[in-house]
Amino acid sequence: MARSIDIRADLDRPDRTRAAGRRRSVLAEDRWLIIVFLLPTTLFMLLLLWLPFLQGIWISLHNWPLMGEPSWRGLGNYRDFLNASYFWTSIEATLIYSLSTLFQLIVALIAALALKQVFVPAKSLLRGIMLIAYAMPPVVVGAIWLFLLDPNLGMITHHLLEFGIIDYPIYWFADNTWAKWMITLVASWTFWPFMFLIILSSLQAIPQSQYELAEVYGANLWQRFVTVTWPNIQGAILVVVILRLAFNLAKIDQPFQLAGGGPGYETSVLSILMYRFAFMSGDFGMAFTVGMFLVAVTLILLAPFAFLYQRHLRQVGR
Amino acid sequence: MTANGVGLRVNHLRKTFRGGSVVACEDVNLEIAEGELLVMLGPSGCGKTTTLRCIAGLEHPDNDDAIWINGRNMTRVPPKDRNLAFVFQETAMFPNLSVRRNISFGLDIRKQVPRPEIDRRVEEAARMLRIEDLLDRRPYELSGGQGQRVALGRAIVTEPSAFLLDEPLAALDAALRVEMRTEIKLIQRKLNCTMIFVTHDQEEALTIGDKIAVMHKGVVQQVDTPHNVYHRPANLFVGTFIGLPPINRFACELQQNGAGLELRSERFVLPLAGEQAARLEQAPGRRVTLGVRPELMEIGAEGAIPGTVRLVEMMGSRTLVLIEAENQDIRVLVQGEPGLREGERVGLTPDLGRAFYFDERGQNLLA
Amino acid sequence: MTDDRSTPLQKVLTYAALVVILFLVLVPYGYVIVTAFKPPYEVYEVSWWPSEFSLDSWRDVLGIYHFHVYLWNSLLAGLGSAVLAVAIALPGAYIFARKEFPFREPFFYVIVGTLVFPFILLIVPITIVWIRIGLFDSFLGLWLAFQIFAVPYSMWILRGYFARLPRHLEEAAQIYGCTQFQAFWRVMLPMAKPVIVSVLFLAFLQGWSDFLFSNMLTTGDGPRTAAVAIYTSTAGGERVDWGPLMVMTLLAGIPPVVLYMFAQKHLARTFAGAGH
Repeated sequence: MARSIDIRADLDRPDRTRAAGRRRSVLAEDRWLIIVFLLPTTLFMLLLLWLPFLQGIWISLHNWPLMGEPSWRGLGNYRDFLNASYFWTSIEATLIYSLSTLFQLIVALIAALALKQVFVPAKSLLRGIMLIAYAMPPVVVGAIWLFLLDPNLGMITHHLLEFGIIDYPIYWFADNTWAKWMITLVASWTFWPFMFLIILSSLQAIPQSQYELAEVYGANLWQRFVTVTWPNIQGAILVVVILRLAFNLAKIDQPFQLAGGGPGYETSVLSILMYRFAFMSGDFGMAFTVGMFLVAVTLILLAPFAFLYQRHLRQVGR
Repeated sequence: MTANGVGLRVNHLRKTFRGGSVVACEDVNLEIAEGELLVMLGPSGCGKTTTLRCIAGLEHPDNDDAIWINGRNMTRVPPKDRNLAFVFQETAMFPNLSVRRNISFGLDIRKQVPRPEIDRRVEEAARMLRIEDLLDRRPYELSGGQGQRVALGRAIVTEPSAFLLDEPLAALDAALRVEMRTEIKLIQRKLNCTMIFVTHDQEEALTIGDKIAVMHKGVVQQVDTPHNVYHRPANLFVGTFIGLPPINRFACELQQNGAGLELRSERFVLPLAGEQAARLEQAPGRRVTLGVRPELMEIGAEGAIPGTVRLVEMMGSRTLVLIEAENQDIRVLVQGEPGLREGERVGLTPDLGRAFYFDERGQNLLA
Repeated sequence: MTDDRSTPLQKVLTYAALVVILFLVLVPYGYVIVTAFKPPYEVYEVSWWPSEFSLDSWRDVLGIYHFHVYLWNSLLAGLGSAVLAVAIALPGAYIFARKEFPFREPFFYVIVGTLVFPFILLIVPITIVWIRIGLFDSFLGLWLAFQIFAVPYSMWILRGYFARLPRHLEEAAQIYGCTQFQAFWRVMLPMAKPVIVSVLFLAFLQGWSDFLFSNMLTTGDGPRTAAVAIYTSTAGGERVDWGPLMVMTLLAGIPPVVLYMFAQKHLARTFAGAGH
């Protein structure tokens, strides 16, 4: 019986046929085992994640300066944020930065499809090379690109000038428009291998017979892609998009290193904005307000993909 | 919906892999008539699947004139232009399409048949295969047998020149396999189509085929009706491969004695008479492998070949008796229950009139 | 075994795509490597080959900037993170994979779902708590902080793998006298080598590459990692010359890549066959 490809763990759930009988009486020995094994993790997550999160909500409803007394503001912080001049700038920067997910997906798809097709020795070496950028710390990659893009001695600037593509060196990260696109491009360059790895695994698991079947029944290259390849990797694509979108929204180290949140607020994506409020202005109330916005934006952007993923699972019978 | 097939010819097909170091098909020649069901039978690695895939266009033969379909050289034509249908061993249903769309796949892709006609063909095929209720289900809901029916349906609706089936029943359980192979044969008869069926199961081949092509090491050993393949094997390989339990083999020498020819081995002497003697007369002193099918041996208190009963296995209406005769195991199939006990000493008498005589190269001397 | 039946057009497109991508990936690194071996003055010129092969930058990195200390710290940070992640996540993953209990699935998703949580929201509370309980500026503090991300991630991967392992070997072990725990220890764990290596690698990477927590939870005197050192050299106010900086990027970037090469086989086996 043919099944679709999906890397999510839950598909390979342990069989549920015995669940109905057992659920009523979890064995005593099992109960003890379960508690012992799960308790540390649960406690850990509770204390370090959920508690601070709730705390954060609380703080966002106050004026909470670093030095000084907190005072209640209710939704005042939220109102101020919505009316601030930097609100839309930040949102715009955040959305543009999220586009790197799309760029990563495109490159990852092309690379995975190409690598799967090619009949070449040392395939795993090639795959390994592609993954270099992801294996390095993001701030290391940031440092490299700062060097390459440096307006004075950067290799890229130099060659762009030489080929007449630009007339004078651009201060990429000080430019109002370029800065946010540059951080997006660097992020794409850094993180695309993650998607590549997972999509490639998914691709390689597609049985050859499905392709041959399509071929015998008249499908050309494009039709084979649409009927065999695409449906089989949809699951993997959705998962990586969800993950990378989430990670991308929370990312702060590399973009901050590259542009410092500036010029002005041009590259202050929500995560950077939060950091600025917390550690540069000492205004924790606003910081957590921005943080809540970040959570909201994350949920909003992720929701359609999560929904699509649920639907995908249902369509292939999970 | 009638699908009258076309004739197919495989002409000195040679197929090697890895630059010639692996020879899958040495020299395959086959002639398949319109409306015929040919079974390609052989052990794994004999080249049957490779031949089928070459016919489909999924592999490129080494020579350019290997595949002829309906009188035209189709060796270099891409698979999608050959108008053939292929059924794989692993049910290849597209997981994201409903059963209905899986069946209509070949027609949807080519966009040549109008929608109402497509729907009609799908309904008709589904009725023929008794899966009308499953049309709107999804692949994951289907069992193995149902899945293979869908695969057949997909093949049927495209009204191909020929059906190619690559061990389609191998993944099914035994009872289902028996049921499906009869169904496939009935469908082939009803549609009067050309069908090539690959299998390694000789029982399946004997039941289903109009003709069987027995293959071994990339070469066709014999193409014949099931009856002939069973009763007149061309060589030792065919004789041994066909028939379960397998044939009993004895290494002998043809000798002249005063009265005529006799078969002499270390353990027994069997005088030859009549037709066999006449036809084998030209070759005294030759080494001959005597092949006797298990059901063509008689067990008695006395007999030409002495032995001891080792095991008695009941097989429904017949009994399989394993007999040890010096350092050889002999299998005899007896009707009913002979009432033998393990350890009993018996004598075996082969039916020389219906036995096979293979020369040193394995060729059937009397074929 | 089957031939390559792709058309020439397919071949051209495929190779072109690969060449372009490889170019985009390798050229930047190529330039970094070249720069690392240039004499100090030449770093400021754009040239693709050093006029003379020089190890000056390397000397500075070790002598002036003491980068080896930071590399060592990164190594420890990564190792601790890896070991801890496996130790915490493994038992939990086993339970989720093999045991039935009420609300198992929702519970699992609550834990794994935290992956989509923006972790920067936590730096402030965690810093405060860490200071209060004395974990500030210590390796243990870092290791524990990394677990917030590493544990859900590891559990997700581990559970998927465990669920895919066939049960019959453990069951056979139990028939032959093993307790559940022994069956886990002696049968399942050895079979789990690929996934454990994968998780160790990914958690190690987490610790080696992390900047956020490493920066917040340490001071310059404490266990500063290479990632933090590089950050402060570019944006954190302690500027460093480009030459030595490129050497630092190589030193901080290459070890995980090398480790990845070793882990590759295991990573492939962990993720392949998932869902099929």
